Amino acid sequence: MTQSLAPRLLGAKVKRVEDPRFLLGKARYIDDMVRPGMLHAAFLRSPIPHGNVRSVDVGPALAMERVRAALTGRDIATKVKPIVCDSTFEGFKSSNYHAIALDKVRYVGEALAIVAADTRYIAEDAIEMIEFDIDELGPVASIAAATREGAPLLHEHWGDNFFIEDLLEAGDVESAFRDAHGVFEINVSNQRHSGIPLETRGVIAEFDSDGVLTMWSATQIPHMVRTGMADCLEVPEHKIRVIAPDVGGGFGPKGHLFPEELAVCQLAIETGRPIKWIEDRREHMLSTFHAREHYHRVKVAYTEEGVVTALDATIEVDCGAYSIYPWTAAMDVEMGLVMLPGPYKIRNFRCEAQSVATNKCPFGAYRGVARTAVCFSIERIMDQVANKVGLDPVEVRRRNLIRSDEFPYMSITGMEYDSGSLIESLDKVCDEADYKAMRQFQEEARSEGRMVGIGVSVFTEQTAPPADKGLPLNFSWDAATVRMDPSGKVVVQVGTHSHGQGHETTLAQIVADELELPLADVRIAFGDTESTPNGIGTFASRSAVVAGSASYLAAVSVKENLTERAAHLLEASVEDVEVKAGRISVKGAPEQSVSIAEVARISYHHPELLDPSMEPLLEAVATYNAGPGTYANSAQIALIEVDAETGKFKILRYLVVEDCGQMINPTIVDGQVHGGIAQGLGGALFEELIYDDEGQLLTTTFLDYLMPGATDIPNIEVSHLVTPSAFVPNGIKGMGEGGAVAPGAVLACAIEDAIKPIGEVFVDRTPLTPERVVRFIEAASSGGGVE
Amino acid sequence: MAETYIVKTEVNGKRYQGRAEARTTLADFLRDQLNLTGTHLGCEHGVCGACTILMEGRSIRSCLMFAVQADGKSLETIEGLAESDGTLHPIQEAFSKHHALQCGFCTPGFLMTIIEYLAEGGEADEETIRQRLSGNLCRCTGYQGIVKAVGEVAARSGSAPTSG
Repeated sequence: MTQSLAPRLLGAKVKRVEDPRFLLGKARYIDDMVRPGMLHAAFLRSPIPHGNVRSVDVGPALAMERVRAALTGRDIATKVKPIVCDSTFEGFKSSNYHAIALDKVRYVGEALAIVAADTRYIAEDAIEMIEFDIDELGPVASIAAATREGAPLLHEHWGDNFFIEDLLEAGDVESAFRDAHGVFEINVSNQRHSGIPLETRGVIAEFDSDGVLTMWSATQIPHMVRTGMADCLEVPEHKIRVIAPDVGGGFGPKGHLFPEELAVCQLAIETGRPIKWIEDRREHMLSTFHAREHYHRVKVAYTEEGVVTALDATIEVDCGAYSIYPWTAAMDVEMGLVMLPGPYKIRNFRCEAQSVATNKCPFGAYRGVARTAVCFSIERIMDQVANKVGLDPVEVRRRNLIRSDEFPYMSITGMEYDSGSLIESLDKVCDEADYKAMRQFQEEARSEGRMVGIGVSVFTEQTAPPADKGLPLNFSWDAATVRMDPSGKVVVQVGTHSHGQGHETTLAQIVADELELPLADVRIAFGDTESTPNGIGTFASRSAVVAGSASYLAAVSVKENLTERAAHLLEASVEDVEVKAGRISVKGAPEQSVSIAEVARISYHHPELLDPSMEPLLEAVATYNAGPGTYANSAQIALIEVDAETGKFKILRYLVVEDCGQMINPTIVDGQVHGGIAQGLGGALFEELIYDDEGQLLTTTFLDYLMPGATDIPNIEVSHLVTPSAFVPNGIKGMGEGGAVAPGAVLACAIEDAIKPIGEVFVDRTPLTPERVVRFIEAASSGGGVE
Repeated sequence: MAETYIVKTEVNGKRYQGRAEARTTLADFLRDQLNLTGTHLGCEHGVCGACTILMEGRSIRSCLMFAVQADGKSLETIEGLAESDGTLHPIQEAFSKHHALQCGFCTPGFLMTIIEYLAEGGEADEETIRQRLSGNLCRCTGYQGIVKAVGEVAARSGSAPTSG
């Protein structure tokens, strides 16, 4: 058999082709762009969390020199429709999220006016001059405040402060609890924090004389944003072009339609001038959607062997003021509801879930939506069961995990796990860590009075999911065009967007392999709705699966066309020719061959040499639909040492086994794991968006909101298993979010374990700040709980 | 109209002259007036390090300095790091090799911090490198590739005697 001359790129550690422009300082982020005649915008933002807007007077601002325009909520009320994003679940209550607040403000940071001036400095001066009058209403700054009798209502016509209340029940929970060997309840929480990309949001809008609105925005989802803009603005969708240039990190927060995008566009429409708005860091903390704030109460039934038989749970999420586009204010509870059992075979399940409206920044997507919280809960449960039946935390997990021979596995909540290696990944991470030696090290350390703990966690990650659970649109697919030019080189246009994930390399690897071309002959283009097929965007660990597969299928199609044409030129039948290393030749007669470049040239410029049935174009569009999504999985172990006096702890080792099926590029997979874990650790250790009882955000700078630095993150030891997806072409699974999911659970387990010699304590929340760890230690030594 | 001042600087060996208001930050001056947009702004309050450049060979936060403070000073920014023929600096090469960047937004600030470190004959020891990088935030990589890249280049240049 003839071997391919070029080594396969799929699975190779290919150096990123996009690196040079970033390394040279030549990348083009939104703030690096200038348009002729461009004005600079700034927003006046409400300092009041909850109130009726009596008046906003931009007159004094407009009177200033070099201030060119301003808009208030009233000015745009008849022209810009509010963002409305309703879950399709029964009972979901709708909210009107205005581009600029109209009658009411509902969180500190909500826009009250936009001003455009010759420079950003002047625009900021001008917003200081705007006079406004707001009648304050009682602030609702927590779930407790929102749900208490007589609480002020955010959206009066609702009659309460619930976006949605839902219930899922499956199996026989009552019998399972009746027959249980033991029953206990946990009460846990994760704090509000967010993705906090280093580049803030930014928008440039321009409206031309043909009525075409072009918006450059630092977004992960240009196509979905365009649909949302057409729903709200008086510009039809075919006259809207959205361009996402280089984007300085997304992580979920940049995957929404934002009111600021609408306001900047409307100002561009009204002034006829390009308008640029670059968010500052304070605005980002106040008004780029927050995430992660979950409260779970779970009652657990388990057997003498440590097998969990039933869960009876309540999930509450503090969703802030408005339902956000396109994910709705039901996203976290609905995902939490179906994912709580995680990788474990729990067959009796009941869960109530509530999304609560509060006077806080709206709540949106962040890497691993809902999964950080449900992983924290279910892993805390496993650790408790281990304690109660006297098992090692690794062993208790082994007894509950879905076995490899049980895939495909339908979870009790209706999730279709296609494949996985849960027990194998746990075993492998124990091997890599030398778990026995680690325990021995712990014993020795304890005998010296040191507090050393080991934490473990296993999870399964739904990647490239659909949104058939209550969202107003289903995003299970994406699209790609593979376009070969007359020189035989290729541009691949995809609907997804790369903002660090390395798609310019990975997608090219897939297409270059299929077309037998060198990597350098394939260029990946994305981010412009005008030059890419309609698509969805980048989030939910989906791009490798959906854009990767769409690109692959389009390449297959182009290759078929190439083969047909070459066979005609070589006067051979299609079955008798093969494509290898840039040439198409007759099998067994390699001297009878033609290069891909020659075929492409003839195809476009001498179509008369082809069969009349053959079209000149060497181009194909394909979509790929990942249906229910494909499941990656991971197991993680950490070894930590706690300083009993200060509560600070050091992560001595952190190990990961990742199984995302066939890897496209292991270097990039490792990078995603490292980065995901760093973000997960940030949330587990100290990141927190703190509101006081009056609804004021206290953490508006990087001095109050701590981001993990190089001295906070350990080296992560990553190894791999490969369980190909059961159905995705090339066996690919997504993996971008996974790293961020487990660190909270791993560290909670490790801290409890470290404190064990002093006494039992239940680590019930993140962040695990030194202050909190000290309190856990004190509680353990006094044998009591922690508040 | 606010009063403006003439600012004369040398950036990456080239002389520039521009006008700035007293309140114009050095970062905005570089980006808006000199069109050197490789220096990025992540927080504008001196914590994230994305806007790090060198002034007279020392790293500074260009968001915390005014343009007028750079008058008569020599600056180095990311745009001056590679050779004029486009050949990457060894630390740029090492960043690519060790996948030390993802979205790239923090990268110029890191590179300038590291250039100062290497110029001082910085050690290849991981702990020291992490300490030195702790003033720059990266949200994508978890720092692992960056630390490796610095270690590799520091070890290489460490074999030659340094003035430090």
